[in-house]
Amino acid sequence: MSAVVAPARRSGWRPDFWTLVAIGAWAILIVLLLIPLGLVLVSSFRDESGQLTLANWQRLFTSTRYVNALVNTLIVGFGGLAGALLLGSVMAFCMARIRIAGGRLISMMAILALVSPPFIGAYSWIVLFGSGGIVRQTLMGWGIFMPPIYGVWGILIVFAFKFYPYVYLLTSGALSNINRSLEEAAENLGLTPFQRVMKISFPLVLPALSAGGLLALIHAIADFGTPRLLGRGFNVLATEAYTAYSAEIGSNLGMATTLSLVLILMSMIFVFIQRYMSRRNVYHSNLINRPEKIRLRGFANVAAHAAVYFIALGGAMPAIIAAIYSIRKTNGPVFQPGFGLESYSRIIASLGDVVRNSLLFSGTSVLLIVVIGTLIGCLVARRNTAHSSLLDATLMVPYVMPGIVVGVAFIAAFNTPPLAMTGTAAIIILSVFIRRLPYAVRSSAAALRQVGPSMEEAAISLGYSPVQAFLKVTIPLILPGIVAGAMLSFVTAVNELSSSLVLYVGGTITMPVKIYIAINDGDYGTAASLSTILLVLSGTAIYLAFRLLGRDERALL
Amino acid sequence: MAYLTVEGAIKRYGATTALNGVSFTVAQGEFFTLLGPSGCGKTTLLRSIAGFSQLSEGKVSLAGTDLLAVPPHKRDIGMVFQDYAIFPHLTVAENVAFGLKARKVAVSEIRDRVAEALATVRLSALSERLPAALSGGQQQRIGIARAMVVKPRLLLMDEPLSNLDAKLRLDLRDEIRDIQRTIGIAAIYVTHDQEEALAISDRICVMDGGSIEQIGTPQQIYGQPATRFVASFVGTMNLLSPTAFGLPDVPGVAQWALRPERLRLAEAGVAEPGAAGFTGLVEHFTYLGREAHLTVQAQGHRLVAQIAAPPADLAIEAGREIRLGFVRDDLHAFDAAGRRVRTELSA
Repeated sequence: MSAVVAPARRSGWRPDFWTLVAIGAWAILIVLLLIPLGLVLVSSFRDESGQLTLANWQRLFTSTRYVNALVNTLIVGFGGLAGALLLGSVMAFCMARIRIAGGRLISMMAILALVSPPFIGAYSWIVLFGSGGIVRQTLMGWGIFMPPIYGVWGILIVFAFKFYPYVYLLTSGALSNINRSLEEAAENLGLTPFQRVMKISFPLVLPALSAGGLLALIHAIADFGTPRLLGRGFNVLATEAYTAYSAEIGSNLGMATTLSLVLILMSMIFVFIQRYMSRRNVYHSNLINRPEKIRLRGFANVAAHAAVYFIALGGAMPAIIAAIYSIRKTNGPVFQPGFGLESYSRIIASLGDVVRNSLLFSGTSVLLIVVIGTLIGCLVARRNTAHSSLLDATLMVPYVMPGIVVGVAFIAAFNTPPLAMTGTAAIIILSVFIRRLPYAVRSSAAALRQVGPSMEEAAISLGYSPVQAFLKVTIPLILPGIVAGAMLSFVTAVNELSSSLVLYVGGTITMPVKIYIAINDGDYGTAASLSTILLVLSGTAIYLAFRLLGRDERALL
Repeated sequence: MAYLTVEGAIKRYGATTALNGVSFTVAQGEFFTLLGPSGCGKTTLLRSIAGFSQLSEGKVSLAGTDLLAVPPHKRDIGMVFQDYAIFPHLTVAENVAFGLKARKVAVSEIRDRVAEALATVRLSALSERLPAALSGGQQQRIGIARAMVVKPRLLLMDEPLSNLDAKLRLDLRDEIRDIQRTIGIAAIYVTHDQEEALAISDRICVMDGGSIEQIGTPQQIYGQPATRFVASFVGTMNLLSPTAFGLPDVPGVAQWALRPERLRLAEAGVAEPGAAGFTGLVEHFTYLGREAHLTVQAQGHRLVAQIAAPPADLAIEAGREIRLGFVRDDLHAFDAAGRRVRTELSA
């Protein structure tokens, strides 16, 4: 009965302002998303000379190379999903229902796994388990043979440890929010503990489990660095797209865009399948009688602790290795025995502009994301019209676009006038901006929906104009959320690799790109110290976000 | 004398009509309640007066001036919200001072008036707290103080007690009534709780389906319901067919109605003049101490009876036969359209 009235109808200036925001939002989406995507589509139907052709698509389905990449992408996608689900749900169950000593340390390590700079993960695994890896060599010295980590199994192990936090953070939240009375009711009705888990607990956490799994799956099929470093001939769509684009001889933009399209389609399909699966399963419970954590004894207790610490350390290991290696003594690119700060002094001496680029690009894109994302968020939250739903739906597209695809699409769109931006800082900033914009829109829209219209109405009834009411009541209420969102966007922006890798030139090189190059050049000291700097930056941003939001690891997803 | 006048208020949302030509007046200092089931248009009406919703047609004037031409923030109308709408980032005192600041009241005066308002709602001790730590009842007290302290021309309350528990609802109900009387402000109060409406109001406007069913004092609304809807919505009503229990067939009467408290135990078989008696089968018996409730099946009717001050030895088993009676003067009569009919039998 209470009539929901758009603020627009209350005074004269607002319709104009919000209409402008809507026009601006669509302009941004058209220029930065729809045109590049359209050109990707067009480009996939063209050959090198610009003639219309189906050759790219034909090659996709006939060439062994691309068919393999397609199959391999599905293998690492679902393999990574399976691994992340296994590790993540074990971790979630133990952390939500069993008393584990050092719980804060565990969740810190999960965060560390989540924000570890890309590539350094794969690299650290090579350091330990590669052909010349420390652990492998030690074991071989004891006469135990251990295959090097390269190939599909290596990729899957890395993915499992890299992506388990998605499943863990979402599922543990859901598990600790199940009303205890529900499980007690099931018990009371005569279900065995196993039946109870399968019939009550599992269906209730399924939405969280599938949402976490979807994130793991999408990130796994989009990941470029891990298969690139560990694959050794095991190629996926992301690496093939990059190869097709970057090959010194015979660079083939048409093939790169075709592969990119397949990646987008795949991600989209998975998003829709997950949404379809959990379409009914939204459970709200007002009365939370939180489940109690049980204290295990004896062997079970040891086993639970071992499992949790094994997973947490496995996930955080790359970051720890990077930090240790960053302070190893080096001579040029070669590690020497002992510790020293040569890697850091080398960064200060010659890589200052890389760090500066990273900070400048991330800072600028975060600023854009916050301002524009908040405005669009207000529009989506306050104007519940078909138009804002369409806007919201369109914003889902960059959400599932792999970085490598954004890079290739931007090259396709902005290589020539009227918008020739390749080689500029702007193109890198905008690529980060468009990928992270959906998060900012969603989080500010969610924050705004929390505030509720009666707050502003109360201020208006007390004599404040709608503009004043918005500034005095709504903005202060959503500000912590916006700033925290900005911090989390900064974490993604500063760690962004794959689109920058396609878009960078000598003068716009960023830290993640430099890490990638350094690893390829065997300059591990530089890679480790740059990674450590990234970790410190990310950690600081996350600390600030948690101070503002209250501690909620799920905000990181 | 009319202070607030609403004339021919119509509100359409697309094809549905939320308000269908509503007119009423409220006098200075009057406590006026809009009562009705959810969806009856009462909140839409309240929000139109506040300015948060625009009428499709109709006029609203306050103290002789057209209200609809004034933007909401200049209407000087206080509002108390169902969900309290207390600003969580401001302390209790800052919440109450919020409207005074918009009016550029001097700092020292703000301090005095806030202190006075908080004393009125008995929250002085909590003035520096943040609202998150307070209970629902305390938050709604802030809401009342915040709306009253600016001395608005009119006070609107949108189901202010519906989120509170029963005991608190009774206490705060009396407090609201006392404060409103002390200040002497005209108030419009929206509720779906008929008991609350009866207890708090000078006059009640019962609404259904976007139209007014009846406007009157609590006594008129309960004692002489203008329509069958009002009769059943306010309190409980036993509806009887035209010739039930030996009642004469009066032309124009489609239905008789009788309040449960007008049915009495007639086991002694005393025949009063103008009384009707009948025998029924007890379905339920509920003993509540100060009264007892009976559900009885009789002559195809399911009747509810409330027996005041039931004797201590009164225990009636379900399935037992019982004799009940009523006085014909207590009957209400309604025509086929559900409107009240005056007959010689009924008042």
